[in-house]
Amino acid sequence: MDSTLFEPNVPVIIQGITGRAGRTHAQLMQRYGTNLVGGVVASASAARDPIGSIPVFGSCREAVARTAARASLIMVPPLNVLAAVEDALAGGIALLVAVTEGVPVHDALKIVQMARAHDAILIGPSTPGIAIPGRMKIGFLPDTALIPGPLGVVSKSGTLSYELCYRLAQRGIGQSLWIGGGGDPVKGARFGDLVPLFQQRAETRALLVIGEIGGSEEEDLADALIRARFSKPVFAILAGATAPEGVTMGHAGALIHGTRGTAASKTAALGAAGVRVHATMRDIVEDVAGTMAPAAAITQPVR
Amino acid sequence: MFLIEHHGKELLAPHGIPVPSGVFVTASGNLGHAPDGPLMIKAQVAAGGRGKAGGVLPAASRDEAARLIAGFDRAMLNGKTIHGFRIEQRVAFERETYVSLSIDAEAACLRLLVAAQGGVDVETQADTRSALTQPDQIENTARTLCDGLPPSVRNALIDVAPKLADLFQRYEALLLEVNPLFIRADGSWLIGDIKLVIDDNAIERQPAIHALLERHPDIYPESARKLTHGFDYVEVDPRGEIGLITTGAGLSMQLIDELKAQGRRPLNFCDIRSGQFRGDPARLIAVMRWIASRPSVRVALVNIFAGITDLAEFANLLVQAAQAVPELRVPIVARLIGRNLDQARQILASSGLTVTLEPDLDRAIALTLAALDGKDIRRG
Repeated sequence: MDSTLFEPNVPVIIQGITGRAGRTHAQLMQRYGTNLVGGVVASASAARDPIGSIPVFGSCREAVARTAARASLIMVPPLNVLAAVEDALAGGIALLVAVTEGVPVHDALKIVQMARAHDAILIGPSTPGIAIPGRMKIGFLPDTALIPGPLGVVSKSGTLSYELCYRLAQRGIGQSLWIGGGGDPVKGARFGDLVPLFQQRAETRALLVIGEIGGSEEEDLADALIRARFSKPVFAILAGATAPEGVTMGHAGALIHGTRGTAASKTAALGAAGVRVHATMRDIVEDVAGTMAPAAAITQPVR
Repeated sequence: MFLIEHHGKELLAPHGIPVPSGVFVTASGNLGHAPDGPLMIKAQVAAGGRGKAGGVLPAASRDEAARLIAGFDRAMLNGKTIHGFRIEQRVAFERETYVSLSIDAEAACLRLLVAAQGGVDVETQADTRSALTQPDQIENTARTLCDGLPPSVRNALIDVAPKLADLFQRYEALLLEVNPLFIRADGSWLIGDIKLVIDDNAIERQPAIHALLERHPDIYPESARKLTHGFDYVEVDPRGEIGLITTGAGLSMQLIDELKAQGRRPLNFCDIRSGQFRGDPARLIAVMRWIASRPSVRVALVNIFAGITDLAEFANLLVQAAQAVPELRVPIVARLIGRNLDQARQILASSGLTVTLEPDLDRAIALTLAALDGKDIRRG
């Protein structure tokens, strides 16, 4: 995995920049410090007026040629994500962050296969984005929860990660790199794929994992941690321990059949890899805060 | 969307996939066009393990089937509502085998799984074989996978696997499991039972599934709600005492886990997606009505961690929704955090509603539990 893509100055475009959400987040990301160099609107008939100071192009190929963009934030409707990913890969984008929720799984299969064939990194679909707090963000991780600090964060759930990182930020513990993986079953980067990135990263002194029932991502993470001889403390929480079998709980990935994908199976696998798994938000916050011993607790005003 | 067996079979039959003839009857209904002769009565629930749980019974005739259904005294099976029964002709077969297609999320391709011996114990049997595959490679994969199996089993599986793969693709399934696949003495096969799970996110472009949902919102309430309202709401306990009005799937699941761990009974999962309201209280009104329809609910907990959402706007919508749903008479604890919290506080305070605002989630949970215990949680 090319770690230079996870640096503060990586040049970013937004696909779907002229939509309501695209416009809003273009401004918010730019204000946060992201090196936002352009936008793309796929529709041939759409206006290409710049959004503020940001130029708008008709394709990723054109955007990359003109701006040297390496990363793209995909903010298009669910049934258009497949085409947006094709456009991004054809244009040479190396890091794709797809925030769209509700992408059909059979589209996701094609998307993930294409990204792999191009050796590109895909985050999501259904991710709230990624951030290097205080420097840049791609997506919409909330500023109130983002402060620079020692934690690497990987998560299947946006809101649960906001909640935990916000509480930890209140205790003075921030993040070095936060990657929202998203709650879809078929996705680009999975927990296990990101282990080498966090292992290498000197600023990351511990890893916070926000997992969920369903699938085998947490079990695969446990294997990856053991394989990599991961040397930093890892903390995990698993949402959905009491969810009913066979019912999708909001996240399409959070679906249990039989004994596969249960919280018990994940807890056991992670525990065997030395991960400290907690059942409640309070417990994991206390453990992380106790272990990471911040220089001084700060109280942030709520914005 | 986990299709009941009857709907799964109805979906497959027109595509040249043979199934035993059968009809759907409700628990109270008459047998209508049910076949006669040796029959199977199969409770229709959206869950596996029906056979072991006593949901599949043989009957010698229509009369016996009617008696068995009338005497069937359970409304639930494996924690799931019984929607009715499929009355099906009993099939004479020589062997039972197993085949399934699923999505392997890690490999991002399909997985074909077969077992020489189908039946209720397939999960624990030793001789299951599986391989990753692509839709256009299914037949080759099946040939390799079935190498060494008895000829009748092998031939049937090689024949059925590509047909099932076509349907798996066509209907954008997440899981298609046939267990058992009956093989007759002459080598022909038919579907004994099927478990079919369709991707909720694909329903918009799946007319047949869409129509099924519109006909049976009672059987598929979660998928129907999502299609109609654009967000997720799942009732997890019809006699729950805490209604949840929450944004975020993971946080909502976590809240349910933590409330249950404390011996409390949350009514529902809810990912209302407050970022998509666009000034319309419709989603809040819908959730409040569903919660109000359950008399066991004694308190509602709102949880909004607003990244972008303007809390003043949210508070206004919450007030509008509460006024539109006067039948929701329980106290509301609103955990709001984010932009314009002070304005939200004023809006709620001057609304005349029984809403307690608390920015800290642990304290909001404590207030919710205090309200359940009958304490007055209103603040001055």
